[in-house]
Amino acid sequence: MKPSGKNAFVNQLFVYMLVGFCLTGSAGLGTVWLRHQISITANHTRRLELRLAEAERRLAEVVTNVAAEQSPDALERRNREMQLGLVMPREPQVVRVAESPERRLAAKRNADIFTDEPAVAPVRFVLTGGARQRQ
Amino acid sequence: MTSRGFASNYRIVLVAAALFASLGGVALRLTDLHLFSRDYYVAQIERARFRIDVEPARRGDILAANGNDILATSRSLIQLGVDPQMLRDEDRAQWPELARMLGMPLPQLTAIFETKSRSVAADGDSGRLIRWAKLSDTVEESAYADILRLGIKGVYGNRTYQRAYPHNALAAHIVGFVNKEGQPSGGIEAFADFYLRGQDGWRESEKDGLRRELAQFRTREVPAADGYGVVLSIDSVIQHMVEEELAAIARNFKPAKATIIVSDPATGFILALGNYPTFDLNEFGSAPIAAQRNIAAADLYEPGSTFKIVPAALALNEGLVTPATRFNCNLDTILFNGRERRLMRDDHPASAPMSVAEIISKSSNNGAAQLAMLAGERKLHDYARAFGFGEKTGFPLGYEGSGLFNPVAKWSGSDITRIPAGYTIAATPLQIHYAMATIANDGVLMRPQIIREVRDNTGETVYEFGKSVRRAVVSPETARTMARLLEGVVTDGTGRVTRIPNFEVAGKTGTAQKIIDGRYSNRNHVGSFVGFFPASRPRAVITVIVDDGRPATGGVGYGGVVAAPSFKRIAEQLIQYLDIKPAGPAAAPARGNLLAMEGGRR
Repeated sequence: MKPSGKNAFVNQLFVYMLVGFCLTGSAGLGTVWLRHQISITANHTRRLELRLAEAERRLAEVVTNVAAEQSPDALERRNREMQLGLVMPREPQVVRVAESPERRLAAKRNADIFTDEPAVAPVRFVLTGGARQRQ
Repeated sequence: MTSRGFASNYRIVLVAAALFASLGGVALRLTDLHLFSRDYYVAQIERARFRIDVEPARRGDILAANGNDILATSRSLIQLGVDPQMLRDEDRAQWPELARMLGMPLPQLTAIFETKSRSVAADGDSGRLIRWAKLSDTVEESAYADILRLGIKGVYGNRTYQRAYPHNALAAHIVGFVNKEGQPSGGIEAFADFYLRGQDGWRESEKDGLRRELAQFRTREVPAADGYGVVLSIDSVIQHMVEEELAAIARNFKPAKATIIVSDPATGFILALGNYPTFDLNEFGSAPIAAQRNIAAADLYEPGSTFKIVPAALALNEGLVTPATRFNCNLDTILFNGRERRLMRDDHPASAPMSVAEIISKSSNNGAAQLAMLAGERKLHDYARAFGFGEKTGFPLGYEGSGLFNPVAKWSGSDITRIPAGYTIAATPLQIHYAMATIANDGVLMRPQIIREVRDNTGETVYEFGKSVRRAVVSPETARTMARLLEGVVTDGTGRVTRIPNFEVAGKTGTAQKIIDGRYSNRNHVGSFVGFFPASRPRAVITVIVDDGRPATGGVGYGGVVAAPSFKRIAEQLIQYLDIKPAGPAAAPARGNLLAMEGGRR
């Protein structure tokens, strides 16, 4: 049975209000959910930032300690402790090669292609006591 | 019966009235909140929840020449303390472990933990509760994490950022330090503070009731810009050689002060600069002020015979003499500008007239004065100024003295005989060093440089420093002639101790009497050796100055005794480190020297 005009209007109004409330409520809940998600994401980001900062602090500590261990004083101390006996080389211990080793090796290799005999004289140097050694 | 649905007139009106009343109430409240009370509540919220976090910028590193050795860096340290009121008995078992981690005796830690209040004189007998007692202010991050794992309630730390100097005393006078207040003090820390300090960032957000940041309410955020890294010209290996040598000088000669400078003559870059006494940068608070003084830049000395390069270069450059020109160096007096002047006598009188080469190699005061007199006072003054005496070298780190070198108008009658021998003037070690470097650099005076480049935190070069020429002092030919004359000092002169087989070493010894109580002392000397090598293509200039060194034998602290041996030892190490080639044919290795072939063990 068809309701009267006044009741129909009231019913419609009531339905519209309910729908309106539902929509508004949904929008409100959606907003709350969205803000909650923003909050979760922001706090997650903040935690990541804190972890990153902590990692950077740890890295700085490690870098500082490594630098301290690489200082000449520390290396010399290790040299003594580990009895490595490492010292700076001295000039008399150095054998200087006047010629270009690249050219000599290239010439030697090229010469070997064409003949069995080495075309370049082998390098000789005196080790000790004047005895000649061949390399 | 007519259906009325569920909505009777009475009910509808009631529900509608209630709804509109509720909505009206909400509307009224909202209107009040947003229009009339808005400012009040916004202010309340801002007071209660607004917060600004400052994000400190990380201060840049100071690096040695190779770009890897860190001379200064920043790190966080924890200032650890305890609130004795919060301690729990169940945590007492962890106290010994905490004491061990802090390196603190357990009784001391227990005493701190069990002292719950301190008496305050103004309050009479009533004690004030202790809420914070310091345990240590140098706890590292990793150690702090271990301490927190102990779970002792009431023990917590505050994070502070501090400067760390991993190489301790290495290049202390160059690097400088940042004090407890975070202010740079001296050295590169102060000079390059503009590059190093960076810019703090900040962030606006809100906090909850527990003062925790509510990250979702962050509004504005400016990230911190970390400071730039500064790469020095100081080579940590050469610097270490220098400081080892200074330690040896201190052991052997017990000087008042000593300084060693090594630089690249072609560019003016300082490779090493060390002073004795020195100090540990990590312990700057306990270092005496005298030890923090950069002697090389700030102290003044009479250069003594090292100054003789000036009258010799002057006479050669002006074409007044050749290396073979001879002078009678046994004169007591000489006529100059119409007046008789008394000359300084040499320690070892010459048996025959000396050539200019011999005047330099034998370090004749008499001959040097005659060389200067040939040119005249004005020329001597101008050349000395051109070599950098009497003016600041431009050393970037400040605290530099300009020396004492009077204009000619203020010279006394004897100054023309004393100044050529390095007396009655005063110069900083840096001035003496760069005057010699001028000879090594074909007669061109360079400005001391200490910073090679500035880098951002990704390692990209932001600014690169190049060599800086001050002026040409003498011609390249004169400089090369002078280098040969100075080589004579080493081959058969006063600096023979610095001779290195197969390497052309050039240099000049210097020994200046110190003025004690207004008179030149016969017991107190400043011994020096300034030189470079190889003479024909110089790679390094080395200056060694020893103030009041006393040889164990009891003799005079001549430059050839207290300074020259150090020059030689540094030069020998530099030959290997910088791969400097010998001038002549390479010598065959001698028996007994083949350490490398013995596996480096001995």
